[in-house]
Amino acid sequence: MFVSDIRKEFYDVIVNQRVALLVSADVDALCACKILQALFHCDHVQYTLVPVTGWQVLETAFLEHKEQFRYFVLINCGANIDLLETLQPDEDSVFFICDTHRPIDVVNVYNDTQIKLLIKQDDDLGIPSYDDIFRDDEEEGEDGDDSGNESEGGSEPSGKRRRFDEGAVERRIERRREKRDWEARRREILFDYEQYEYHGTSSALVMFELAWVMSKDSKDMLWWSIVGLTDQWVQDKITHMKYVTDVGTLQRHVSRHNHRNEDEENSLSIDCMRISFEYDLHLALYQHWSLYESICNSCYTSSHFKLWSIHGQKKLQEFLADMGLPLKQVRQKFNSMDLSIKDNLREVIEESSNKYGMKDIRIQTFSVHFGFKNKFLASDVVHAAAALLENIEKDESGTDNFIKALDSLSRSNLEKLHHGIKLAKKKLISVQQTIASCICTNQILSQGPFLYCYLMEGTPDVKLFSKPMSLSILSKYLLKAFVRSTKNKRCRLLPLIMAAPMDVEKGTVIVLGIPPEAESSDKKNFFGRAFEKAAESTSSRTLHDHFDTSIIELKTEDRSKFLDALITLLS
Amino acid sequence: MDPSEVEFLAEKEMVTIVPNFSLDKIYLIGGDLGPFNPGLPVAVPVWLAINLKQRQKCRIIPPEWMDVEKLEEIREQERKEETFTPIPNPYYMELTKLLLNHASDNIPKADEIRTLVKDTWDTRIAKLRLSADSFVSQQEAHARLDNLTLMEINTIGTFLTDSLNHMYKLRTNLQPGKEAGKSQDF
Repeated sequence: MFVSDIRKEFYDVIVNQRVALLVSADVDALCACKILQALFHCDHVQYTLVPVTGWQVLETAFLEHKEQFRYFVLINCGANIDLLETLQPDEDSVFFICDTHRPIDVVNVYNDTQIKLLIKQDDDLGIPSYDDIFRDDEEEGEDGDDSGNESEGGSEPSGKRRRFDEGAVERRIERRREKRDWEARRREILFDYEQYEYHGTSSALVMFELAWVMSKDSKDMLWWSIVGLTDQWVQDKITHMKYVTDVGTLQRHVSRHNHRNEDEENSLSIDCMRISFEYDLHLALYQHWSLYESICNSCYTSSHFKLWSIHGQKKLQEFLADMGLPLKQVRQKFNSMDLSIKDNLREVIEESSNKYGMKDIRIQTFSVHFGFKNKFLASDVVHAAAALLENIEKDESGTDNFIKALDSLSRSNLEKLHHGIKLAKKKLISVQQTIASCICTNQILSQGPFLYCYLMEGTPDVKLFSKPMSLSILSKYLLKAFVRSTKNKRCRLLPLIMAAPMDVEKGTVIVLGIPPEAESSDKKNFFGRAFEKAAESTSSRTLHDHFDTSIIELKTEDRSKFLDALITLLS
Repeated sequence: MDPSEVEFLAEKEMVTIVPNFSLDKIYLIGGDLGPFNPGLPVAVPVWLAINLKQRQKCRIIPPEWMDVEKLEEIREQERKEETFTPIPNPYYMELTKLLLNHASDNIPKADEIRTLVKDTWDTRIAKLRLSADSFVSQQEAHARLDNLTLMEINTIGTFLTDSLNHMYKLRTNLQPGKEAGKSQDF
């Protein structure tokens, strides 16, 4: 059931209770969790935070906590599966789900008592109406009526009984035909509804609006919701239109906060957080790196210049020369660049990039500024937190990484954020190197209805790509680069399936599929259902554990038959 | 005494806040507080003010002495005089730190206030050091300092008493004659 007044039906209900917070492992969920934790601290709500990375972890966590808690809040997990059937909770457990995964399972939508969805209904959800899918009551009633008629007919004299019997038989045949038609229609409607997987409004944004409705919103919460939205955009989960719309909403909040504080003549202390809207460069981490490195390792610029080829490198040198930036300046840390160059860097880059065909080098985003040294763009924080979440350096358990990433979002933990930025730089470099090697050695093969790429075991940094978020970033960047490098026009419209070794001891690979690259793509992914069907038909040993149904784990030996099944399924 | 203990004592000072919730009068061991009505200023101890501010339930109004001109005057006076001048609040250093860390958005010109208070503190501590130095070098038996705050006393207290103890032991050790030949344990 959708919650219409989030304050009354969600917050006021849990404010005096102990709550279990089950949070998925992505940056948007982290931000939503931070906002909710801040609200809980204000009102002294007792809660238990449990990070969950997949369905199995969710089930074990639920079993552990179901005796102690009645109220469960699920962030970025649980909407796209029949939750009650999977978890089998008691009658009085209530689940509040704030999830960006769509489509929402119809049972979750139409359950009135135990499942409350903290999702705005004006998202284009396309939920089939109740009567199209559920018809149980009517069925039983009619059968009951029928038998009732028969028994009544039985008490009548025999002549009338025969007529009643014929009528009853006809009606039953008619009803069975209707039922078959209705079921066929129902299957079709459900198939259309559940075929494509996509993402809706950021959970961090929903939580921020809750805080705003309660007038408890602070600049920290606004910044977290900005980071959550930017995460959806960096991970390419939402369309450009949606991103721009949501940025507009957040911009209104930003100007409201800025107006409130700069009102007096006395300006604010330098330690206070200042958020500003920027029309900044689409270069990853450029303010914490050198400009040259940032251009080489950002997806947008590297795919446009084709930096894996020598021709591309030359073009980059030309581009820098065109802007009049000396190589020495461009290769040193951004903060140490000459002030005269830094001043109108953005305009200079925009002008030159228009000449080279990069029209979207500048994007709408936000930056935060506190203290004398600390200035971060929203995408910097997203990259840092994502790198911390999937940190493979020390082989720590998943929960340690989760807590570290969660901490790095607070202003007081700047060393963690800087550590995250360092890890993110390493990750971006290895992504670019892997892309360069895949394209140069032609590892992306066209299998007919899709493109396929497999990362061999000996590839450098292959351990990094056993994690779903890193692998999905790699595959998105790889597809963009491939589309620009291939001469085959048909291949440019194909989706990509990426596979990488996940666990060498268990002998599994992680497989994920992404939709084709297009300017006006609606980011809808059909691989979830396709993977399920292919796995069923070949009885491959797969694990559909991830919340995104387009990411699965597969036994290495079953790889070829699984792929063959997919090819037949999708052609 | 630990500096955090001095800060704890400083939190008993009263400060004015403007709450955004309502609550009846509360009866605590230390005294009565309230009633709280949204938009109406009320005087509460600093520990409660900080807690409410962190829970976004109030706005803190800076105390009267926390003002740029007043603090500038105090600093100038402190620099002119050779002895310690009286200061507006016995816990000025702790209150400045607490209020500026938690409520700097409610205090206008917070950075300048922080600088001015630090300047005043530095001048006073310098005077303390000079006076301790002259006390030791002239081997006085007692000294009197007015208008010191607990934090300043605490900063120099342990060091001064410990070093005087050591100097006493060293001095008694220098006595020739009857103590000669015996070793002393410190």
